[in-house]
Amino acid sequence: MRPELERIEIPGEQHARERAWTVASAAFAERRPVNGRRRMWRPAIAVVAVVAALAAVLSPPGRAVLDEIRDAVGVEHPQPALFSLPAPGRLLVASDAGIWVVQQDGSKRLLGPYREASWSPFGRFVVAASENELAALEPDGGVRWTLARPGVRSPRWTGSETDTRIAYLGRQPRVVAGDGSGDEPLCAASVRRVAPAWRPQAQLAVALTAPSGAVYVVDLDGCLRRWTSSPTRARRLEWSSDGARLLVIGSDGLRVLDGRTGEVVARPRGADAAFHPGTHELARIETRDDTSAVVLGARTLFRGAGELRGLAWSPDGRWLLVGWPAADQWVLVRADGGRRIRAVSNVSEQFRSRSFPRVEGWCCE
Amino acid sequence: MREARDERARVRGAQRGSVSDLEALFRTHWPRAFRAAYLVTHDAAAAEDIAQESFLAALRALDRFDRRRPLGPWLHRIVVNRAIDWTRTRRLRAEVELADVLPATPEASMTGDETFSALARLSPEHRAVIVMRYLLEFTPGEIAEALDLPRGTVNSRLRRGLDALGDEL
Repeated sequence: MRPELERIEIPGEQHARERAWTVASAAFAERRPVNGRRRMWRPAIAVVAVVAALAAVLSPPGRAVLDEIRDAVGVEHPQPALFSLPAPGRLLVASDAGIWVVQQDGSKRLLGPYREASWSPFGRFVVAASENELAALEPDGGVRWTLARPGVRSPRWTGSETDTRIAYLGRQPRVVAGDGSGDEPLCAASVRRVAPAWRPQAQLAVALTAPSGAVYVVDLDGCLRRWTSSPTRARRLEWSSDGARLLVIGSDGLRVLDGRTGEVVARPRGADAAFHPGTHELARIETRDDTSAVVLGARTLFRGAGELRGLAWSPDGRWLLVGWPAADQWVLVRADGGRRIRAVSNVSEQFRSRSFPRVEGWCCE
Repeated sequence: MREARDERARVRGAQRGSVSDLEALFRTHWPRAFRAAYLVTHDAAAAEDIAQESFLAALRALDRFDRRRPLGPWLHRIVVNRAIDWTRTRRLRAEVELADVLPATPEASMTGDETFSALARLSPEHRAVIVMRYLLEFTPGEIAEALDLPRGTVNSRLRRGLDALGDEL
């Protein structure tokens, strides 16, 4: 019986073994030395470094931009297409062709030639923006309603099961009910082109960016301004899921603001970041010289040559998706203790795009 | 006997930080761990994840590992239990159980392997005991302990599994 069982051919066995060894040896190199073994530790790292360097020299040219030593490597043999997502939920992706919804089983649907989009609070709908139109769509592409407005950008949806609002930017910030009715200016007179960010766990409070760069939070009810921060160079705003922290991703770095006062509580290093769902912990992209790393707390989850761009957490907080434009790959990194890496190549082609596709959200189990 | 001694030396070396000893352990145990996971799950990607995670779990516990015990059975026990868990979870998610509705899985069709196709017709629990007994060479008593099953259940699953395989093959 055993010879029969050992004769069975397993698809991709060789590549699986190579990937596993790469991950295992990297994990071994990070293993904390125990008492009495410190002297063995540095030689161990050196051996891993030599093995990795030899692998780089001996590998085919162009492979993974130069197989420099990374804390987690798994992209030498990426999947040629996104066959499935490793966690429950659906992706919303923006490409040159428009907005796509990707289901967990890897099937994807082009919703239409929109530029930006975001999920409704429970992931049942998508709000999408084209040059002069705001549209509420079903994930299968059905159009619920549209609203013609000039220069529509950055729609963001919030609310409860029964009452939802969409904030978006046009010539000024505006807000419309989830059924497409009652479109009106959103309190503030003018803002920078930074997407509004609804505060979770709050009654219709939204963070906006003033022309000065100061971030402020305004309650829709009465247009009461809750607080205003010191000036920033914000490019993107993101709340922690409890609404207690506001992350400001700026061209000058990261700031974490207190959600009640707007005071800066931390200035972590990094070019981009995203709150780990349900926590105040940040996954960050740090770039140094020609290398970028995805860092969670003190752990480096992944490191790659060139720019890593965009972070999207799976809804269950176990996986992190990061884009690697130079390799035209998405890298999916397991963040909850394991060191699993999945990579998907040919991302641009899969989404019919010349520019590198952008993940707009990974929503809802 | 000598193999056991060599493995103990490799575990000791790996505990002290030797990459070459770790690599030797990996080369010895990974193929069978991966194969066992694959034969239980019938899903190559899942088997890779399971074997990889199991190996990493073993690495994390390396400093506490009792060198007098053989590494392989310990690792394989983790692998098979995780593989069974995976198949149960998949069934709970109501994914289509290919083995239930198709004459053979697509992968089986590609390999053309009758053994694989025959295995696919067994439940994961039956596959697990067959794999543990005939690929990993556990005794029925060791299988019972590893899977936390009565010895009689293991024997009956082995018998029924073999009967079914005999019919198919």
